[in-house]
Amino acid sequence: MSEIMISLKDINKTYKSMGDEVQALKSVSLDIYKGESVSVMGHSGSGKSTLLSILGALNPPSSGLVEIDGIDIYKLSQERLADFRREYLGFVFQQFQLIPYLTAHENVMLPLTTTKRSNREKREMAAQVLERVGLKNKMNRLPNQLSGGEQERVAIARAIVNAPPLILADEPTGSLDTKTGDEIMELFQQLNKEGLTVLMVTHNPDNTKYLGRTIVMKDGRLSDERLNLN
Amino acid sequence: MSIFRIALNNLKRRKMKSFFIMLGLVVGVSTVIGIITIIRAMNADLGDRIDEFGPNSIILPRSEGVEMGNEMSQEINYDVQKLTMEDIPKILASEVSEYINIISPKLIGAVDVGEQKTLIVGIEPKSEFMQKPWFSLKEQSGIKNGEKIDELAFVELPETSIMIGSSAAKAFDLKSGETIVINEQTFSVFGVLNETGGEEDGLIYANLAVVQSLLNRSSELSMIEVSAYCNACPIEEIAMGLEKALPNSRVIPLKRAALFREETIDRFSTFGLALSGIVLLIAVLVLFKTMLSSINERTREIGIFRAIGFRKMHIVSIIFIEAGLISLIGGIAGFLLGSIMAVYAGPYLAQIQGEITIQVGLLLPSILLSAILAIIASAYPALKAARLNPAEALRFI
Ligand SMILES: Nc1ncnc2c1ncn2[C@@H]1O[C@H](COP(=O)(O)OP(=O)(O)OP(=O)(O)O)[C@@H](O)[C@H]1O
Ligand SMILES: [Mg+2]
Repeated sequence: MSEIMISLKDINKTYKSMGDEVQALKSVSLDIYKGESVSVMGHSGSGKSTLLSILGALNPPSSGLVEIDGIDIYKLSQERLADFRREYLGFVFQQFQLIPYLTAHENVMLPLTTTKRSNREKREMAAQVLERVGLKNKMNRLPNQLSGGEQERVAIARAIVNAPPLILADEPTGSLDTKTGDEIMELFQQLNKEGLTVLMVTHNPDNTKYLGRTIVMKDGRLSDERLNLN
Repeated sequence: MSIFRIALNNLKRRKMKSFFIMLGLVVGVSTVIGIITIIRAMNADLGDRIDEFGPNSIILPRSEGVEMGNEMSQEINYDVQKLTMEDIPKILASEVSEYINIISPKLIGAVDVGEQKTLIVGIEPKSEFMQKPWFSLKEQSGIKNGEKIDELAFVELPETSIMIGSSAAKAFDLKSGETIVINEQTFSVFGVLNETGGEEDGLIYANLAVVQSLLNRSSELSMIEVSAYCNACPIEEIAMGLEKALPNSRVIPLKRAALFREETIDRFSTFGLALSGIVLLIAVLVLFKTMLSSINERTREIGIFRAIGFRKMHIVSIIFIEAGLISLIGGIAGFLLGSIMAVYAGPYLAQIQGEITIQVGLLLPSILLSAILAIIASAYPALKAARLNPAEALRFI
């Protein structure tokens, strides 16, 4: 039996803005196992990004328990939480996820910046993952000199350079054409096969075939769970 | 790659933004440096030219009951004769002698020129004209129109010659080279002085010893004018020291010219510093606004940095390093620009005759000032950026 990677227990999240209250998550409980790949689907506003940010140690829930690899993450101090993100998580976002004034190579090195490694080691690690996503020959370009799909690959390279056990992606193929999107999905599939746990928010039902399990959200609740059989 | 590298790349690859921030710094720093350089030059100039401001003290005979005019000779009672040539060595031996630069003794008396009575002043021409460089010759005997007239301080006045003020020359209808009979002695007019606008214009000048014998008052003096070396000298103290050395005299400290000049400098300094203050304030506000908008612009990036595992400190560092680098360059550029402005515009602004030199010692303070500006301007934005909730920041994605 696999170990639990992520454990959510009775998570509620309420946003308050200008006297208005939005209950983005309502009593969400969920376990994700190590080595699993999960897609999160649902209508706009159903709470997918909120769920991801809570899992991503970016956004504390209003109530409930979030454990990653057995760590009650929101008990950590702000600074320890930042360290936790660096060590445990790789984020991939849709569009604009790269720092515009840093080259592809420098962008990928970012998660290593605050670690105690030699400069040479950092450069080599970053070059290696860039090679892994097929961008070794373009690593000295700035983001605006790369295509959308290439930027997405750089973002993935950056998410995995630190070899985190968990990858969180929010609509990583949202701005890509079908063919490029499929290539990116294959890359995620590959990474998952190598042992990474992947959690991905997606609007595209075709993407779910690359991932093991699909969770559907509706109005801040988990509405339906199904196993992908492929 | 390091935090430093991230900051450096941001500056390098966002040239327009960096340029505008730098501009704010350069304007602020160059104004301050320009004004300070000019003020310093003015002070140095004041020191250099102190001799031109005339005597600092006038030594007069102590004359109980005779009320003197405020400063100059018009009401001096020249019948009171307690000051003599012997008092001069006493000045040189006084406790304030180290301050004393020029001693100009003189005797003033009434003489007959034809039917008229007029005043003659016996002087030692070198000391008198060195002390009062505003005097100059309008005409000089033996020098034709267009030829260069001698500097008064270097003129040897023959014993049988006089110099005459411009209005006296007019009154007696005299030109240089002509002769004048004073108390039945004939003198030739060595030169006519340029108008000064004071009572000196109505006087006749001759060598001190000549006047002493002419008036039959050998070795007597009406007054001694003394000038001190420095502008910061305690004029009151010098006057007291002189009075102590010459118990029979009374010493009037003069502050006019030097003080006036100092006041001008003070006023210019106050104005300049106020101006600098305003310019600096504007520069800070411009910087603040630019930094702030760049932070808002960078909210997304900061969200990414935070998601990737940068601590708040890391983000604050990036922003401060950026500010530091810009302020280093801005400080140096501001120093250069301010110095150049001072060197070229300063002489017109401050009416300084000499050259204004670049004050290399101000370079470090320039960089420091620039850094302070940049830090004031970026502290708030930096903290605001770092405090940002990463989830909030990422909503911009
Ligand atoms: N910071 C916030 N402040 C206030 N309300 C928020 C905030 N973030 C999200 N919400 C609200 O919470 C609800 C869930 O938002 P969320 O972004 O999680 O939806 P989503 O499923 O990711 O939608 P989409 O598919 O459009 O990205 C929405 O009603 C949204 O308006
Ligand atoms: Mg979303």
